[in-house]
Amino acid sequence: MKKYIFIVMAAIAFAGCDGLLDTNNYTESNTSNFPKNAADAEKMITAIYATLNQATASPASTYYYAAELVADDRMGGGGENDKETLALGHLLKASDSQWDAFWAMRYRGIARANAAIECLTDNQSFEDTQVRDQFLGEALYLRAFFYSELAEMFGSVPLIVSSTQETNVPKSPADVLYAQITSDLKKATEIMSNKKYNEFESGHATKWAAQALMARNFLFYTGFYKKDALPLVGGGTLSKAEVITMIDDCVANSGHDLVGDYRNLWPYTNEYTKNDYVYTKDSIGEDGNPLQWAGNENKETVFSIKYCNYAGWSDTYQMGYANQYILYFGLRNEKSGGNGQQATFPFGQGWGQGPVASSIWDEWASSEPSDLRRKASILNVEDASEGVTYTFGGDKQMEECGLWNKKMIPISYKTEVNGKTISWPNTFWCAYASYDKSNNGNDMQGAHYQDLIYIRFADILLMQSELKGDATGMNRVRARAGLPAVPYTLENLQKERRHELCFEGRRWADIRRWGIVEDVFTIKNTLTVWNKGERVKMTDGGYVTRYKATNGFFPIPKSQIDLSNGVLEQNAGWTGQDANYSGWNF
Amino acid sequence: MKRKLLFLSVLLLFGVCLVSAQQNLSVSGVVSDASDGTPLVGVSVSVKGTSLGTVTNLDGQYTIKVAQGSTLVFSYIGMEKQEITVKSSVLNVKMQSDAQVLGEVVAVGYGTMKKKLVTGATVQVKGDDIQRLNTTSALGALQSQTPGVSIVSSNGQPGEGFKVTIRGLGTINNSSPLYVIDGIAGGDINSLNPADIESVDVLKDAASSAIYGARAANGVILVTTKQGKSGKIQVTYDGYMGWQNVYKKPGLLNAQEYMAIQDEIVFNEGDGLNDWEALLGAKTYARLQAGWTGTNWFDEITVKNAPITNHAINVVGGGDISKFSAGFSYTDQNGILGAPYASGYERYTVRLNSDHVILKAKNRDVIKIGENLTFNYSEKNGVGQGNLYWNDIHNVLSATPLLPAYNDNGGYYSQDDKNTDSWNQNGSLGNPILELASIRGQNLSRNFGLNANAYVVIEPIKNLKYRSQFGYRLSANTYRSLTVPYKSSTTSSSTDYSVNQSAGMGHNIAVENTLSYALPKISNHNIDVLVGQSFEKVAKGESVGVTNTVKGTEALPTLTDFDHAWIKNTTNVNSSTLSGEPWGESALVSFFGRLNWNYNETYMATLILRADGSSNFAKNNRWGYFPSASAGWVVSNESWAQSTKTWLDFFKLRASWGQNGNCAIANFQYVASVAFDQYNVYSFGPTSLGTTDTKKPGGYAKNLPNPDVTWETSEQSNFGFDARFLNNRLGLNMDYYVKKTKDWLIAAPILATAGTGAPVINGGDVQNSGVEVVVNWNDHIGKDFHYAVNANVAFNKNEVLRIANAEKIIHGQANVLSQGTTEMYRAQVGYPIGYFWGYKTDGVFQNQQEIDDWLDADKPVLQTSPKAGDLKFVDNDGNGVLNEKDKTQIGDPHPDVNVGFSINLDYKGFDLSIAAAGAFGQQIAKSYRSFADSRYNNYTTDIFGRWHGEGTSNRLPRLTDGSNTNWQEISDIYIEDADYLKIQSVALGYDFKKLIKNLPLSQARLYVQAQNLYTFTKYSGMDPEVGYGFGDSYASGIDLGSYPNPRTILIGVNLKF
Repeated sequence: MKKYIFIVMAAIAFAGCDGLLDTNNYTESNTSNFPKNAADAEKMITAIYATLNQATASPASTYYYAAELVADDRMGGGGENDKETLALGHLLKASDSQWDAFWAMRYRGIARANAAIECLTDNQSFEDTQVRDQFLGEALYLRAFFYSELAEMFGSVPLIVSSTQETNVPKSPADVLYAQITSDLKKATEIMSNKKYNEFESGHATKWAAQALMARNFLFYTGFYKKDALPLVGGGTLSKAEVITMIDDCVANSGHDLVGDYRNLWPYTNEYTKNDYVYTKDSIGEDGNPLQWAGNENKETVFSIKYCNYAGWSDTYQMGYANQYILYFGLRNEKSGGNGQQATFPFGQGWGQGPVASSIWDEWASSEPSDLRRKASILNVEDASEGVTYTFGGDKQMEECGLWNKKMIPISYKTEVNGKTISWPNTFWCAYASYDKSNNGNDMQGAHYQDLIYIRFADILLMQSELKGDATGMNRVRARAGLPAVPYTLENLQKERRHELCFEGRRWADIRRWGIVEDVFTIKNTLTVWNKGERVKMTDGGYVTRYKATNGFFPIPKSQIDLSNGVLEQNAGWTGQDANYSGWNF
Repeated sequence: MKRKLLFLSVLLLFGVCLVSAQQNLSVSGVVSDASDGTPLVGVSVSVKGTSLGTVTNLDGQYTIKVAQGSTLVFSYIGMEKQEITVKSSVLNVKMQSDAQVLGEVVAVGYGTMKKKLVTGATVQVKGDDIQRLNTTSALGALQSQTPGVSIVSSNGQPGEGFKVTIRGLGTINNSSPLYVIDGIAGGDINSLNPADIESVDVLKDAASSAIYGARAANGVILVTTKQGKSGKIQVTYDGYMGWQNVYKKPGLLNAQEYMAIQDEIVFNEGDGLNDWEALLGAKTYARLQAGWTGTNWFDEITVKNAPITNHAINVVGGGDISKFSAGFSYTDQNGILGAPYASGYERYTVRLNSDHVILKAKNRDVIKIGENLTFNYSEKNGVGQGNLYWNDIHNVLSATPLLPAYNDNGGYYSQDDKNTDSWNQNGSLGNPILELASIRGQNLSRNFGLNANAYVVIEPIKNLKYRSQFGYRLSANTYRSLTVPYKSSTTSSSTDYSVNQSAGMGHNIAVENTLSYALPKISNHNIDVLVGQSFEKVAKGESVGVTNTVKGTEALPTLTDFDHAWIKNTTNVNSSTLSGEPWGESALVSFFGRLNWNYNETYMATLILRADGSSNFAKNNRWGYFPSASAGWVVSNESWAQSTKTWLDFFKLRASWGQNGNCAIANFQYVASVAFDQYNVYSFGPTSLGTTDTKKPGGYAKNLPNPDVTWETSEQSNFGFDARFLNNRLGLNMDYYVKKTKDWLIAAPILATAGTGAPVINGGDVQNSGVEVVVNWNDHIGKDFHYAVNANVAFNKNEVLRIANAEKIIHGQANVLSQGTTEMYRAQVGYPIGYFWGYKTDGVFQNQQEIDDWLDADKPVLQTSPKAGDLKFVDNDGNGVLNEKDKTQIGDPHPDVNVGFSINLDYKGFDLSIAAAGAFGQQIAKSYRSFADSRYNNYTTDIFGRWHGEGTSNRLPRLTDGSNTNWQEISDIYIEDADYLKIQSVALGYDFKKLIKNLPLSQARLYVQAQNLYTFTKYSGMDPEVGYGFGDSYASGIDLGSYPNPRTILIGVNLKF
């Protein structure tokens, strides 16, 4: 008996019990068996794009938001206790974690792009190498896009280009970053398809977007760093002539074009709103047609962050599936029916951040009084033709000039659609027949599906003019706005860019590369604003001083410096007490 | 065989008693209980070696005819068996409760051991001592009886669990101990009725728990359910019913007080005074003028005298061949809060344990088989208990008292009513009861659990036992919830119905084989050895879930109420979410051995070695080896110690050292898993609305792989002694331990440049050290008055020694007390795990002079332009700058000291028992309102202690709007000492058997009991027992409005047939 027991036990003990410990993961792959095919590759690429939404979940930390609030066309705004916003508007910081989320999401995107680039480059297992190369081009484009935002925002940052490299590395100087950006974009433009933009599903980066991003980087790098060509990895440069070839190719062959009327780019001309909004009611566009929003997928959009009806609170980043900038730039509300609700129809409720500075309104009015784009872009709350009743100082609104951007702000509707009752706040998206509320947290915060346009075709035309020094592209843009042609001068070009592209995230890079920051900040320094409903004239907003101290770069997140054990160093101008926002005492 | 036996005994008899051989003798007597002298009914009296026998009658008397010199065997359930050789015709027997005898035997894992030989630190609690406290979960009863084991209820909602920590937190992962129920690891003690439990043994030191090596790093709790016993069948019924009430109501502001406070806020903000008539509307305003004091939302959801019921029937019996124990119980507990959908918990348990001797030899059972089987079914429903956004208790504490709960038609007061009544105050203020009823209150979760094992024990030669056991554990659950359209405020409303149905089911199997042998005694050396093997396949299971939402206007007529909340009744699909996935699968293979040695029961030692392979690690890192050694010395056995016998009965020194493992991490950390989750999608293509869904899934490496990740080891040394004094009346046990968790499994923060989640690494060390003391005194005064006093106290100090990244911190979460507040708890080297992190304050600026002096002294302030009434935040590092670096430890949720205390008295059938438990030295972070977020939340009366003029307060700052620095920065103003001592139970009983001797029962006890009778504490919240930690297992003591434990009055009976 005993003998048998021992035999049984010994058998159990040694019969490869390691095999008993093998387990399978039934819901996840791992890097040894993924990606296997084009469908897998598409998922890898999709996950890179997903980080665009994830970054939007913390909008106040992102490039677009920072660039808007810090440049001269807007103020910080928000409520009295929105210290981070107020600080940002003055190139200060209110907390050390202000830029953490964006930094992390951009490196998350970079890591995903690195993995995709590694496994797609020269991958022979794809039947269709064109499909593979299009994906590879998108990954290269996105990596370049991420690094160009980081480079403009922080100056020099760690360059991670491989999934296996050490991640605790010192910051790479701008030359090294731009070499990587240039090489990635160059390769992308070489391998991506020549098909027209509309032959691809919208949202994907195209060769045309890569060419445009190249031009954008060329202009910033050569302007800000005073160079004449973009560097390449491994030496060599990409000349201005090569960039012009690209931008000409893009203008001629991409299939992109300007929409008929400037106002059709912005959602307040949507069908549910426009007939109740005094400004748009019965208006005929420059193209002779009634105004009608061209929608998210229009021919002018070259590259955008796509939003959808998927916001929610289930995951840290899920709110990023709705356009949070719209919420942040909405009007502060203190009482039912007030600002952001019936009183300011169609402009909806939000956090009151990024009020428009009076300087752009005044300059525009005097330099181009007949430009329809001024009122198309800016809500002047005291303008009777807007039909709004506005209260200054709503919920302790700070730094307001009575001017709000119209491009990216909640838009509501009055019409009863499909028998649905209307409650405030709401957005015009709720009017769509198949609108699905269940995924959106709530309407006010989660129902903004307007895409954030990163590269608009008008920008490409203006870059073409600037690169070539001729007025063709610029005058095409002016003509659409009903304005006469003008000769090319840098001054005309600068004015045109400011007007055409206002509140679209470009102004900050433009004034930096043109070297006019101190000039425009001198104007911004002493504007008159309303704080909590009271008029205040700033004695000195500190803008010029802070720009001199920082050169326009933001601080490296402190949490990362701490984790790097001293490998990462803080940017100039951000270590002293003078970098801290200590309350509105300008 | 029989013949031979007879022959032998005949010979024996002759030898013993030559004169009176073969003479029949009538023996009679009374069998009584040694403890109190009461006669015992139904005691089995048999003649050894024969089939002759009888039982005692109602008076405990028996008569039997035997040959003189025969041996009589007296056996009775719960009493120690006695064998007495007949020497005269009257033989009165006093039976000793086997509790005392069993008390000498404790479970040690894969076997039992005489308590006096145990060399580790273990504590045993008898089932009776658990049952006596009449708690729904056995853990509730253990609170006062297990020094070194911290047991804190997660919250007081019926059916909620407990946070159990043995000898301090050693990890930020799952820190709960391993439960072994009837030899099957991983069961749920809450699924048992306390009446089913024979005993609970807690193995605290590493040497004791080492036999369970893997997963024993957090200690082991062995639960033995009631086993069969031979003798007359005994039936017991235990039942009680009771009434539960809120112990301590929070002092909320009434409408007038609230308005005064709101006025003070606007005054301080310089915003102009509130025009209440305009804000509230004429109707509400008039009502307030007429004396209405507003709505007390807490009262509105309170259930008075919420009933609790428990019935438990147990049957025990058996003979020489087969024994069994069966039990059935029903428990029903209603919640004290949550009306109109008050929480509730119902549980049914069924248990059947039996064993059977298949083959018997003269001195042993050669083959024995048996099984233990418990099944439980429970269902519960509850209100939201979670963070700020899912906590109905928080909502009622913070809702404005100015809104009525109901409108004139008896419906919930809603946004429509606000509009009708021209409510003009902040539009986001809503009716928390409407929200409770509409979106959180209607739910039901049901759980099914089966815990079963079957075993065979083969003893081919004396003392060589082979045991093979197959264990099976099944758990299944379903969940269903309904949300309905509602309009509570401008920001909280829905026009949809939503039904959620989900279900999961899984099972574990475990196969175990052990072989043990007790060597024959060689010159007082006693040695026994055990070797064994086990294999466990964990959680092979799956779950599915569906949520479907339909527009209110399109709801099917069948979707009328919660009983009709089924997916089938929501066929007009508006949008739905689906899920379905396997349960994480893992496996564990183990080999273990134990050697026990003692010399004359004076010197003793135990060696254990266990090897475990876990599927959670890569192939070459799977195996962990966990050794332990322990030794003991019974000093009082030494001849030179005999002089102390007059006062010292027993004294044993113990020392142990051992290592245990922890593999509790998610599987597949050793590879870079590619995840395809729903939050990494992208919406290519035209913007689609509604059901046309173009979101494409993304696939991404969700973590950095760590192929080297392996076992976390907890290493513990323990020194202690057990002593009994003064004729065993006084007992004293003491233990000192140092427990160091090494290679702590953590996902320490990494640089964002890595671009993905941190890998789980063996990256830290934690140390717990402490002292535990148990004192008990048992005595009687006269024949009838017995009393026993037990007290225990446990000290523990927790410190993180190492975290393997540059920062040496694992960060906790932000937005805990209020939206907009920073991280407030963390694990950091040099501090206790989960300590509260924030600014210290040094009182309140009383006047401008103080501010000027402060600033003149170059002391920094956080406020933009400080005003009288602002907090003085402390520049902790004294460098003249106030920033994050000045944040420091402002509290620790872990008690320094836990105490337990009990008194048991009995006198002539009356019994009185008191149990108390307490904790000292810990802090709670409390915020019943979102201070940093909303000015309109209601306050508790604590706010009367705010600063509102020079000299009025030096703790709480002046009132301001929402996110003022004073309130937005996490500081010690949110932290309170939470020392407490709870009188958990006071019970008074009387056994009517003492009064009416001829009751056909052996016990008929009736009792009344008060639970949670009184809490000595200075903590201002409802209940200082706060287990909530914002969802992080290592955090606790965060009180956002936690469902409090009720005070309960019970009436019950214990009947024994």
